[in-house]
Amino acid sequence: MAAYLIRRLLLMIPTLIGITFLVFMLIALSPGGIGAAQRFAGGSGQSGVDARAQQAYLEDRYGLDDPAVVQYVRWLGRISPLKFGTRDQRDPAGTIIRSPKPLKPIAMLGELWGTEDDLTAPGEVEPETLSDDSAVNNATYRKASGAYLLARLDYIAAQTNLRLALSTWGTAQGIRGVLNNKSKLNESKLRGLHIVEDGPVPQAVQDKGLDAASTYRDAQEAVIQAYERAITSYNTAQVQRDHLANVYAAKPYPQVGWSIIPGVLSLGPPDFGTSSSRSQPVLALIKTALPVTVLLNLIAIPIIYLIAIPSGILAATRAGTWFDVASGAMYVALWSIPVVWAGTLMIGFVANERSGLGWFYVAGLNSPEADGFAYLPSWPNGDFHRGFMLDTLLHLCLPVSCLVYAGFAVLSKQTRAAMLDNFSADYVRTAKAKGVADRVVVMRHVFRNSLLPVITIFAAVFPAMLAGSVVVEKIFTIPGMGKLVLDAINLRDRELLLANTLMIAGVNLLALLLADILYALADPRVTYD
Amino acid sequence: MAEAAAKSATNGEPAKPIMRVDDLAVSFDNGRGPRIQAVDGVRMSVYPRQTLAVVGESGCGKSVTAMSSMQLVPMPPGHFDRGRILWRGSGTEIDLLSLNDRQMRDIRGNDIAMIFQEPMTSLNPVYTIGDQILEAILLHQNVTASEATEIAVESMNDVGIPDPKARLRAYPHQFSGGMRQRVMIAMALACQPKLLLADEPTTALDVTIQAQILELLRELQQTRSMAVMLITHNLGVVAENADVVCVMYAGRVVEYANVFELFSNPMHPYTRGLFASIPKMLTRRDRLVTITEVTDDPKQFEKLPGASEGVRPWWPWHTPPKDMAAADGPAGDYYLQEVSPGHWVGVWRTAAVHDHESRAPDLTYRIADDPAKVSLRPKAQHVETTVTGA
Repeated sequence: MAAYLIRRLLLMIPTLIGITFLVFMLIALSPGGIGAAQRFAGGSGQSGVDARAQQAYLEDRYGLDDPAVVQYVRWLGRISPLKFGTRDQRDPAGTIIRSPKPLKPIAMLGELWGTEDDLTAPGEVEPETLSDDSAVNNATYRKASGAYLLARLDYIAAQTNLRLALSTWGTAQGIRGVLNNKSKLNESKLRGLHIVEDGPVPQAVQDKGLDAASTYRDAQEAVIQAYERAITSYNTAQVQRDHLANVYAAKPYPQVGWSIIPGVLSLGPPDFGTSSSRSQPVLALIKTALPVTVLLNLIAIPIIYLIAIPSGILAATRAGTWFDVASGAMYVALWSIPVVWAGTLMIGFVANERSGLGWFYVAGLNSPEADGFAYLPSWPNGDFHRGFMLDTLLHLCLPVSCLVYAGFAVLSKQTRAAMLDNFSADYVRTAKAKGVADRVVVMRHVFRNSLLPVITIFAAVFPAMLAGSVVVEKIFTIPGMGKLVLDAINLRDRELLLANTLMIAGVNLLALLLADILYALADPRVTYD
Repeated sequence: MAEAAAKSATNGEPAKPIMRVDDLAVSFDNGRGPRIQAVDGVRMSVYPRQTLAVVGESGCGKSVTAMSSMQLVPMPPGHFDRGRILWRGSGTEIDLLSLNDRQMRDIRGNDIAMIFQEPMTSLNPVYTIGDQILEAILLHQNVTASEATEIAVESMNDVGIPDPKARLRAYPHQFSGGMRQRVMIAMALACQPKLLLADEPTTALDVTIQAQILELLRELQQTRSMAVMLITHNLGVVAENADVVCVMYAGRVVEYANVFELFSNPMHPYTRGLFASIPKMLTRRDRLVTITEVTDDPKQFEKLPGASEGVRPWWPWHTPPKDMAAADGPAGDYYLQEVSPGHWVGVWRTAAVHDHESRAPDLTYRIADDPAKVSLRPKAQHVETTVTGA
């Protein structure tokens, strides 16, 4: 059994990788791509060079300009508890700090400019030694990090400027499609050209007349200036990067996790990153949302089981009677009602104070003033005061009934069918021949053997409800996992979406494993050895 | 044992049947079609220590008769139309069909036990053997759990299950078919029943295991003075085990006699057909004789004593003879006649027998008490009869 469990748990890893890879690629293939939200934010209210520079900065910061597969592998490396390379460090604010990324090369420098001699090579800066005082080290790192950020920003702006100049230059030579449909420089169109300072204007441009030739010369001049600016800022950024890398290498902050092979392999906590839409760590968002959904389900699932299973048993023992027919018809009718419709009707007729009964609350998990409530109901000065707990429960009534009503049909019908199957089994006849009373036969022999389908349904219901309260949470504006997932999808919040995917997939796999373990407990014929 | 039985017989003490089936009729609802008359006017009787074999093809009503005596016929669709099943558990006869559910439960598994055809599915797969045997013991005997375990171990030991204590904790799927049937027998016998209904107990087992199980049943019957109603369609099993044979067809008894009388002098064409259809060793035939070859032959129906007066064997596929004098009430066209002492045959109620009233089939015969025949009892010589070896 232990070997089986370990094997199943290990098999979950490739399964989860497969699932997240699919989701990641779906995001990448959707219109706007992976960083749509970030790009959108970068483009707001600005135009021209500024907007482009900001977009380039965001792409650089989130690594959005890399191919999707590379981005996925990078994400995987962050969430993997097994880390390769040097260990990450954590600053006093709790943010995970990594070694600074290498700079991107200057666009088409070697091909067009002809020489890369002017560039500063990485690693030319002296190694750093740090003091014993962590506050001083923090300041040193902050300073180095701030300086590098500025230099890098300058370099990114210079790169953007260079690309713009290159596209103008290309257009001035009459080359079509220098900018692709995403307004990005199409480098392949410029391949094979050279920039020669004060060189002759190409014949094709001369043929178009003097204006064209003059435009070409201006464009070429701009390209040369852009290259010079890019090289200068690159060199500055490179020095600052090396400095920062050296400070980082001297370990200003405590390292995260446990080393296995020093400098090569370490164990560390998964880093789910920061939600781009809410600017909070993803883990913190899940930590606040998950308990709400779990609470909803911990109320809803037992209700489903406690009603559906006994009524399924009763329907089986009284197969064909009015109870069997009526309960079956009622459950199927309930099952057929869309949650969206039912939820809206409930809000309109049961919760609404003006047009409806006003018995329950329309939205949310608590009343706005509930933070000031005592936890338990109380009667100060003879007035009833409902308290925090009762307030929550009253808010949960309608959402829970929405989650519950459709769940009876499948479970009670399955229980009934399994029971009826087993009623005609030979061992039931044996039990009756032994003189066992009918009620005991039903529970001890028939129901005990009908447990397997009930377990199967549990494996399907539990994770589905965890993720599937999406609609209910949206209708009743409950800040649970469903709402979090929906927001992540709507806002293209990559980190949040991937973390949610991972969690839901993990819960699914664990529920399947739990079902398999329960099978072995319920049926002695099932063994995993 | 045989001596003691013979003594009680010579004492002149009139033996009484432990169970009598009297004019039992059971029918089943068939949706929109006419009701299916599974059993119609069946009479038979079983004495203590006696093995009554009920023989017949599938659907002839053997199992329904046995299940009726435990009220295990599902109702609905089943229904007891008429008749009684009289049980002499403690001196006075009671009608098992008239008992309510509580009274019936006291008899089920306690006085009357049953073993079934399918040992593979007759045990509950999710409980241990011990749980299932203990369930029967604790229901009917006023004992503690540890005493019950001892009884179960003893009972498993009796049926030849090696290492019974450890095997109590095993699950049915860890047993072979033969061993499961032994468990079923142990479970049935744990409460020392007076009558064991064995519903084709060996049909699902291979031949060597069949012989072992039957040998075991014979032994247990002798040591416990238990009556056995052995339901089978295997004439070999009948020859080796039965004292009295009841041949059934289409819900009625067609022939009833002790085993030697029946095998040497079968009178109903159907019984003769059954015997004719058994392949014989050392005779070479391209085709086997079928039962219908015998029953389709009108001459076969004219061999009964009294045939010249118009006594004709009852046969549902024949149009009734012209001189019918059917009695009032259901199954009035049929009459179980004692054609010779201790030999009953189902006949048409023709004019020749319209006022006859034979006694109900009732044979105290036991081979074990018959010194002339006890050595003739066919023994299962071809297998090791040590029951522990399975």
